[in-house]
This record gives sequence, C-alpha cells and structure tokens, in this order.
Amino acid sequence: MRFLAFLLAFLLPLPALAQNQVALTSEIFVERTTTDAGGRQSVSLEAPGVVTPGDPLVFVLHYRNNAVSLAMDFVVTNPIPESVSYVNAESAGSVLSVDGGRTWGELSSLRVANADGTSRPAAAADVTHIRWRIAQAIPAGGQGELRFRGVVK
Amino acid sequence: MNRTLRLGAAASLLAVVAGTATPAFAAGTTAGSTITNNVTVNFQVGGVSQNSVSASNSFTVDRKVNLVVAEDGSTTTQVSPGQTAAVTSFMVTNSSNAPIDVALAATNRSGGTAEHGGTDNFDVSGIALYQDTNNNGAYNAGVDTLITYLDQVAADASIRVFVVANVPLGRSTGDVAGVRLAGTASEATAAGSLGATITETAGANTAGVDTVFADTNVGGNTARDGIHFDEDDYTILAANLTATKTSRIISDPLNGTTNPKMIPGAVVEYCITVSNAAGSASAANVAFSDTLPGATTYDSSFGVKVNGTVTSGTCNADGAIAGSHASGVVSGTIPSLAAGDNRTMLFRVTIN
Repeated sequence: MRFLAFLLAFLLPLPALAQNQVALTSEIFVERTTTDAGGRQSVSLEAPGVVTPGDPLVFVLHYRNNAVSLAMDFVVTNPIPESVSYVNAESAGSVLSVDGGRTWGELSSLRVANADGTSRPAAAADVTHIRWRIAQAIPAGGQGELRFRGVVK
Repeated sequence: MNRTLRLGAAASLLAVVAGTATPAFAAGTTAGSTITNNVTVNFQVGGVSQNSVSASNSFTVDRKVNLVVAEDGSTTTQVSPGQTAAVTSFMVTNSSNAPIDVALAATNRSGGTAEHGGTDNFDVSGIALYQDTNNNGAYNAGVDTLITYLDQVAADASIRVFVVANVPLGRSTGDVAGVRLAGTASEATAAGSLGATITETAGANTAGVDTVFADTNVGGNTARDGIHFDEDDYTILAANLTATKTSRIISDPLNGTTNPKMIPGAVVEYCITVSNAAGSASAANVAFSDTLPGATTYDSSFGVKVNGTVTSGTCNADGAIAGSHASGVVSGTIPSLAAGDNRTMLFRVTIN
C-alpha cells in the first residue's frame, strides 16, 4: 500500500490527468521461507533485495478507480517478464496465454506447438501472459489487488 | 534494486513479449540482468474505451555462486603398484548465473573410508591436474593441459579435470588411496589469470549486483562457503604370483624309462609352475630363472619349454621351446598370466 500512496502523491499535482483515471501499481516481492530453532517454517514477503535464480516471486498489482464515474470492462493484462517463470495465480478469475497474448484460456485448455508440428498440453512455465477481466463495474474510489506467483529463471 | 512507475502510457504497451521460451538452464538468469514487470489496464467509462494505464517495476538479479565438483563416473580407478600417471576424473560445473574462475587443489585422503568403500591406507604421489582440453573424456598426455585453476568458466559450463598421480610400489590388491579435488569460486576478472576468491556480499542488499553463495553440503561439504569438493579413489589390483618347483625322473641308463632310478646318468625333469591367484591382476612378462643344482648337466636336447600347462597339479608335457640356458642358469618368460591361471617352465638335467 505504501507504493499506492506514493502513486497517489505523484498523481495529485496532475489533476487533469487524474480525470477518468485509473491508478495502477505493480509490486514484486520475494517469498522467503525461514526455519526457526524449533523447526517451524514461516514465510514472509520481502522487497526484492538479494534475488537470485530460483527465488519465488509474488507479483502484486493494485488498481484504483480515481475517476468520478464507473469504470467498466476492466481488464488487467500482465505479460510475464522474460526471466520469470509463471507458477500460479493467487487471485481468482484469471485467464492465461501461452502464445504471447493471441489466445487466452484456462491453463488446462491451452496447448503448445512442438517443433515437429504436434502439440502438447501447456505447462505453467509456458505462460506468457496473465489477464483478469473484472466483471463488476468499479465505482469511483473502488480499488482492488491481484496477485500471481512466479520464480526467477 | 530500482523501481520505476509509469502512468498514462499509450495502449501500444499492451503488445509486448511474444513467445518467451523457457530456457532449460540450471544457472538461470544472468547476474546483473533486470527483471521488469509491466502491467496494463484497459477499461471503459460511460461505454467509451479509455486510454490504457500501465505500471511497471523492476529489480536486479544478483549473482548466485554455485560451484559443483563431482566425481566423473561412479567407480574406483584400478591401478597397479608402481603405476605412473594413474588417472581419476572429476567434473567441475559452474551452476552460478555468472562466469567464474575456479581455483583447484587436489589432496590425498588421510585414512578413513574412501569414496568407494575401502579404507584409505596409502597415498599417491606427484599429483597433477589436467583439463580435458579436447573434451574426449580420457586423459591424453601431451594434449590435455596442466592446470592449477579453471579460467573463465561460463555459467552452466562443465569442465572435466583429471587428477593424475603415481602409485607407489609394494601395495597389495585391495589397498586404497583416496584423493579429493576441491574447487574455490574465484572472480573471472581477466582471462588468463586466476581472479580473487569470491566473497559473499555482507550485510544488507545493495543496489548493485550482490553475491550469494549457493553451493550445497552434499558429501561432507560445507554449504554456502564458495568451496566445493568431491573425492574419488585408486584401488590396487596387483598380480599375486606363487612359484612351485617339482621334479620327476624320466629315465636312467640301466632301466630306461621303466622304473628309472636316481643314478648317475639318469635324466630328471624339473617343472617350475607359476600361479596367479584368482581375483588378481593379469601379469605380463613373468620371467623365470632357475640355477641348476650341483652335480647335474643341462639337457640341451630337451631345451627349455615355456608357457606349458598344469592338469590337477601335474605338469603337462607341453609348452614351446622358448627359454634359454647359460652358465648353469635356466631362464624363460611367460608372456601373460591371467588371474587364476598357472603356467610352467620345463627343463631336464642329467645326473653326473
């Protein structure tokens, strides 16, 4: 939320832009699992300080309707960064693409073409884009958060 | 880490990144590369599509230093006593996401149970390290390069290193010498020279590329110290030879070959049998020599028959005339004697 606050602070001097505007931020966290002396594991989300291949990432997308009117047909699209392998979506209602955003669907419905012309079921690592289509209109001041997970390749 | 924020960008931002293949690289994203996440919102207000809104943020991938030294193969190296240039091989793999130099050190194990189960009870000498320059999996003297470190090992690259050493004489079958090859992750600062030992970034994350050790504790290693080793061993397989000498009387001048007696003029045949115990190394060029007993004369008409066989403990009248006699000494050579086999040398003398 502090980055949302930062974003709002950034927007305030620009009221003209803020008109009919949706605020959006992307945050990336690294999921750290620590084991205490008693062997209990705890998981925390940390800012991406020291990040090396194999580290699990949580992408957090905040949106807020800063406009005075309803925002409808609200679609959030996030290409998976090249050096990140998609793992899963934490927020419900997502659709995925494994072909650079041309076709979308549930992972189980997607296929990946093999070099020899055949195709195979898509795996999470094949995902190139994730998208949420928010069915309900977002009222003025309405906001939400979407999350998905990946791992540094 | 850095963080950027973009707003009110054009809708064209939507069309990005097509067909990101998943590289099957263990080392992963190169240290120092930036991972940027872009997100875009499209929406309508009052039934009219608005300009899309985008945001992005990014961070830098740090350096994960992971060095793996592993024995190449899974068996001991069988050696003979006195063998020179006995070879064991290791694979040194840079599983880091950046190139590194690797300082190498090979040492003898000091007692205890060696890699393949035997008890370490001797040391090899003259240990030298060679890089498998022609990458054929076998040590080629004069081709593979003598090294003390590996220079500029790329991320995910594996290099085979041969430990070449000499085996002392006088060891018996089953004796074991363990050797350890240890690699230390070093900076790949410049080609042609070993860089400084890599250290982990102490304290908090920095804006630049930090270094994290990721080597494991497999096989007695210390995890995350930038050093990794593995062991292999040499096991002695020696020939185990025993010789026996038998004699039988062939004839005497009075009885001929019928119940001959040991009287002057009698002919006596000697059979020297050399046996190589089962489970031993095959022996080559087994040389015999035997000094004739006093008061006997070498029978040059019979000669010296070498490489004959034995049946149920009795020497057969076979073998080829290949030995020699000089100055009262009979000698011959058996070209090869397999484990569990025995061969003979036959010669005859006349009692004076």
